[in-house]
Amino acid sequence: MKHMGNTPLVYLLIITGCVLAISCISVLLWFLGDASWQFWQAFGLSPLWADEWYPYESLYGLLPAIIGSFWVMIIAMMIAVPCGLSAAIVSSEILPLSWQSWIRMGMEILAGIPSVVYGLIGLWVLLPWLQNIFDLLTGHSLLAAGMILSLMILPTMMVMAQDALRLIPLEQRETAMSLGLNWNQRLCRILLPQAWPGIRSGILLGLGRALGETMAVMLVVGSLDRVPQPIYNILEPAQTLTSRIGREMGEAAFGSMHFSALMACGLVLAATAIFLSLLSQQHRGRLNV
Amino acid sequence: MNTLQKNMCLEVKSASEEAINQDSVLNDVELAHVSLTLSGKHILKNISFALPNRGITSLIGPSGAGKSSLLRCLTLLCDHWQGDISIQGSSIRRWSGGEDHLRRHIGLIAQKPSVFPTSIYENVIFGLSRKERGKDQSICIEASLRMAALWDEVHDRLHTPANNLSIGQQQRLCLARALILKPKVLLLDEPTASLDPRSKQLIEISLHDLAKDMPLLCVTHDLEQAQRLQGQVIFMCDGKIIEKATAKDFFQHPSRIESREFLRWSVCDCG
Repeated sequence: MKHMGNTPLVYLLIITGCVLAISCISVLLWFLGDASWQFWQAFGLSPLWADEWYPYESLYGLLPAIIGSFWVMIIAMMIAVPCGLSAAIVSSEILPLSWQSWIRMGMEILAGIPSVVYGLIGLWVLLPWLQNIFDLLTGHSLLAAGMILSLMILPTMMVMAQDALRLIPLEQRETAMSLGLNWNQRLCRILLPQAWPGIRSGILLGLGRALGETMAVMLVVGSLDRVPQPIYNILEPAQTLTSRIGREMGEAAFGSMHFSALMACGLVLAATAIFLSLLSQQHRGRLNV
Repeated sequence: MNTLQKNMCLEVKSASEEAINQDSVLNDVELAHVSLTLSGKHILKNISFALPNRGITSLIGPSGAGKSSLLRCLTLLCDHWQGDISIQGSSIRRWSGGEDHLRRHIGLIAQKPSVFPTSIYENVIFGLSRKERGKDQSICIEASLRMAALWDEVHDRLHTPANNLSIGQQQRLCLARALILKPKVLLLDEPTASLDPRSKQLIEISLHDLAKDMPLLCVTHDLEQAQRLQGQVIFMCDGKIIEKATAKDFFQHPSRIESREFLRWSVCDCG
């Protein structure tokens, strides 16, 4: 604030921005809450752990989709976090500077590709591949959705980790070198701890995207409203909250219970995404990043 | 104080048998025909000198003379140089144990203090390996902080963040962090630039004490400081050594016209 000058105009702009942001979030939550009120009023919180979703029989169990979203998010993060972090370390710490800009450009291009293209790639490349490897019926599975998602969130995570690593001053690296620390020690004791707030923000942003992605997931997840058997079987087709909304919203009559149930799915998603975002900000604040 | 230093020596020496063998031969620092060219520009031109076994050598000269680059060559932070740099006859390029092992024996203090975002305590022991961190490490920490003239100011808040220290205290913390590794040579790159007079004085007192046991090479722009540090003075300009003399001789009877001009105007035009 100090370097911007503490003028009333700056304060006014900041306050206006804050009010606008809070208003937008409030309106969004109010809209979702209002649209799904009919559903919550009729069933309470019990759909959160009910596992049957048959709208025409008034069964609205959200559990299969919640579990599906959870698994897809976990698989995506398990692939994307180590890959993104390793790629960021290699590109910012090992490769020459001229290569870094090329890699960054590649990542930015990857981040800009529409999600439906990833979905189509998954449909034509990943599903047959998984079908052959695991001898599956179709290849549609939580694993396929998680793998496609990991590819989609990888650029965000890598770029954020790369930025966090590059922010560490050269003096810190040279000081560590002058103390006789080898490359591994410098990485583990200087670079990663100092870059961790930025890396964590990248992970949480990726988590948010993994949770909210619809189109690519819808094309490869199989959209089967069933809790995987056993629950850790990621090779089964399943459903996620986003793919359910994307697939069924066109069929639901406006104002119907089905419509309200889909809005409830949206509210659960939005609440989780806001929670993750707040968690990210809280860590940033605590670590003074 | 003496007991502490002895304990510290014992602690560090017991860390590694290999290090002991290396320590026993680490004494002299000798540069022979060292040249450095970066992006087509000759930064160092045929630099040759030896540091005495103990005492302070002040490296002075105008900006861009190559003083800091020379320190970087000595610690292998810059490795594009030609010529030879040896410590007790062993070339630093072929140092047994590699360059990381070599750097543990050469303490480097930069102009701008660079403390790690952790506690004072952790900062001091940062360079120690797990093997070296023993139950007596508190004694080593106290000894090195005392040698850096910082103990009295921080002994009651060792576990507070090092970033909260003043710049002068941070610089002395960097000195303590280097000293806990028991270096055989200490290289200082304008260690008191931008420090307040009190911090400057405390660091100079520490350097005088340290110079009784080890060679110190101190880059400085402060000619009065170079006089106060006494010892040997090396005057560099445009990547070359112009004059090498004792501080007394250099400041009272400089033999080269460039030195006289530098002392008169603190400028140099010897390109």
